[in-house]
Amino acid sequence: MNVAIVVQRYGADISGGAELHARYIAERLSSRIQIRVLTTCARDHLTWRNEFPPGADEVNGIPIERFRVARERSLRDFGIRSRRVFTRYHSLQEELDWLQSEGPVSPDLLARLQRSAGEFDFVVLFSVRYHQAYYGARAIPGRAVLVPTAEREPALALAIFQPIFRGVRAIMYNSLEERAAIQGLAHNEDVPGVVVGVGSMIPAATDPQRARQVFSLSRPFVLYVGRVEENKGCAELFDYFQRYLESSRRDLDLVLIGTPAMPIPSHPRIRHLGFVSDQDKFDVLAAAAALVMPSYFESLSMVALEAWALGRPVLANGRCDVLQGQCIRSNAGLYYESAGDFAAALDRLLDDAGMADAMGRNGRQYFAQHYSWPVIERKYLDMFDRLAAASPGRPLEPLPGWFARRRPTVPAALDVLASLPSGPAREYQSASEVPA
Amino acid sequence: MVDQNQGQRRGHFHRGRRGSDRRGIDRRSQQPPPQERGGGNQVDVEQIMREIRGRIAQRQGIDLSNQQIQDLAARRLESILDPRAIKPSLLDALRRSAGAQAQRAAEKIPNEPAFSFEDTTIYDSHRGLMRFIRRMLNPLLKLFFNPNPLIRALHIQAKLNVEAAERDAERDRRQTEWNALHYEIVQRLVTEVSRATLELQAQSLRVESLDAKVEFNERRVRGIEGSVHRARPQVVPGRPEPSAVSAPAPEAEPASAEAPVAAPAEGGQTSESARRRRRRRRGRRSGMGSGEGQQMAAPPRPDVASTVERRPEESKGSVEHVPDTGINEAPPVPFERASAPTPFEHPVPTPFDHTPLEHTLSEPPPIVQIEPPPIELPPMAAAVPEPPPAPEPPAAAEAPPSAPDPDRHEY
Repeated sequence: MNVAIVVQRYGADISGGAELHARYIAERLSSRIQIRVLTTCARDHLTWRNEFPPGADEVNGIPIERFRVARERSLRDFGIRSRRVFTRYHSLQEELDWLQSEGPVSPDLLARLQRSAGEFDFVVLFSVRYHQAYYGARAIPGRAVLVPTAEREPALALAIFQPIFRGVRAIMYNSLEERAAIQGLAHNEDVPGVVVGVGSMIPAATDPQRARQVFSLSRPFVLYVGRVEENKGCAELFDYFQRYLESSRRDLDLVLIGTPAMPIPSHPRIRHLGFVSDQDKFDVLAAAAALVMPSYFESLSMVALEAWALGRPVLANGRCDVLQGQCIRSNAGLYYESAGDFAAALDRLLDDAGMADAMGRNGRQYFAQHYSWPVIERKYLDMFDRLAAASPGRPLEPLPGWFARRRPTVPAALDVLASLPSGPAREYQSASEVPA
Repeated sequence: MVDQNQGQRRGHFHRGRRGSDRRGIDRRSQQPPPQERGGGNQVDVEQIMREIRGRIAQRQGIDLSNQQIQDLAARRLESILDPRAIKPSLLDALRRSAGAQAQRAAEKIPNEPAFSFEDTTIYDSHRGLMRFIRRMLNPLLKLFFNPNPLIRALHIQAKLNVEAAERDAERDRRQTEWNALHYEIVQRLVTEVSRATLELQAQSLRVESLDAKVEFNERRVRGIEGSVHRARPQVVPGRPEPSAVSAPAPEAEPASAEAPVAAPAEGGQTSESARRRRRRRRGRRSGMGSGEGQQMAAPPRPDVASTVERRPEESKGSVEHVPDTGINEAPPVPFERASAPTPFEHPVPTPFDHTPLEHTLSEPPPIVQIEPPPIELPPMAAAVPEPPPAPEPPAAAEAPPSAPDPDRHEY
């Protein structure tokens, strides 16, 4: 079986969530089926500047084809268009213009997809909100398997994506909450779909003591891993943590791993280690009292899964449905929605060693049951087999005509998003989603 | 002075505190939280979060849901936006604009129709004949004056009118958006103020409660200090000096069973049997009627009482036993009053003030341990009478009959 994976960026040093997800899937499935990655020459997701050379490439044994991006992204233009489609009544054409502004626009990549009629059995398209996934699905709907990696954000509620959700062959969801939101939006219950997520490359052994020595982590600490930016809830995390320190005499540090995109408060208890190697990251994670996930929007937090794989509890932002749902379903993490919650939950995690250990065990079990690689691989392969045996579903709805596209009848995405079902999902509903 | 508390017990500051922070690691691990009982990985995150939030609500004192706070804020907003102080129309407009969509303002059609003025407008008419005649006479008219500047001016004016109308519409739309934003901000501010006010009230109550506890503790400390001052040696004429009586006991041969009881008065060592006996006596005394007790009551022997160690379990029920112990009998009066030398014969004890105690009965404050007052003993030769030359043993002669139980002197 030949499968192509289409993703906006690809590389060993690209650490974006969806991009890492795609790379892991490609590398794991390559031992079972023929995998080829089609991607752009971009490295930076803000500008889509062509940095990799176009043409054939190889990363960790996976063959890659890179295509040039036609134009870089203008953040100002993108901001203006985003405001328009997110907050006002608008037209479908404005949404298409927004997608054009979002990028990465690579006509060569789309032409390659259209030429690949008999070459690939299936094309796995990553991240629905990007140009290549949307037009890729329109180019080859009968072979498109979509990995939406959709967060509960306004872009998800744009009207142009609803036909995509209804017209692709299958959807590999990251979480129950993501599936509920997409089905609530597009009513695509008849499209084959499964909640898969992604595993992680967990090292066989970690050395927390080494991490303590290397990074001089003498005090107990909670850890944040990821880009340090406001969109990830870091500003709120800093605020809550400093307020916690003011009200508590606990000897506790907040350790940050990741690239900063906002000023980090200069506080003796807030330590920023910068970008570290994977081994260092896992060692520090194993040494942490807990992992903090302050993000509001996540389709799946890989670092939370890594913490659970290492038996560490998680303290997550309860306003993110996905994180809250995962904490509840795994019984391996607490969540907060206010500074008071944050302090009390943190105290509870640190005071009650028995409970934290039990959560760690639950986390390991949850990870092994749902996110270990054999489980993930099996779900993908089963889906491909199922699609190969079944006849194609309904055809993808075409775009409306010139005038209809320009009629300002589409409600604001924020309003649509507010009407979607929300809240964490308690249980896996389908027996097929609970691996034996 | 011998430290009675070294090594064996927790410090007096910690007595009576049963918090988890005062428990040792071993005890902590022996008491798993309810979620984990049953063994295994039985952790219910939702239950834990409910507990945490319940505790937060309890700590804040006022358990109001977000909806209740919103309602409260809405009522406060009503009172702020008092119709008597603000134009009702403005208030209505604010409310309407808060809920209305800004788009509506943009789509609003201007009241005045757009008026266009072209070069043929001044000759226009709804009658075709009239139009025709005017057009025919137009060259003649132009002989008299040039209408072009007039036409241009009116044309420009018409354009300006349209632009002004658009500007007005845009301004209205923005104003509507601003109104909605302002209303939203005011609403949120009021909500936050309500939340902060509730928290302030809760904190004020807590401060008051703590203040009362502190005040009570201070009075209690002052009272105990007063009792310590009274425990200074007081020589009462006509009575044998207590220390002189009890002093020889340790040195006396413990031939009689009562003799060791007197020892703590000097050495600070209280034997368990002596404590037991005293408790028995206190029990008997507290069983008396109040009138009888008052008649028989006499000021305690502070020197003895202060050396008797009070246990936490005794201190919990200290109200009933108050008159019987030196510590509890110390009245909560200012230090100056308490330290004034009270005549030993004065039979009326200071009434115990129950008011602050009732406040803290359920949670007794930590007992402040009092060091035994330094009792300066007179020289042995002066205190102890000369042993009689009788053939009885010297120890029995040195220990007077009442020496083993000094309390018995009071009755």
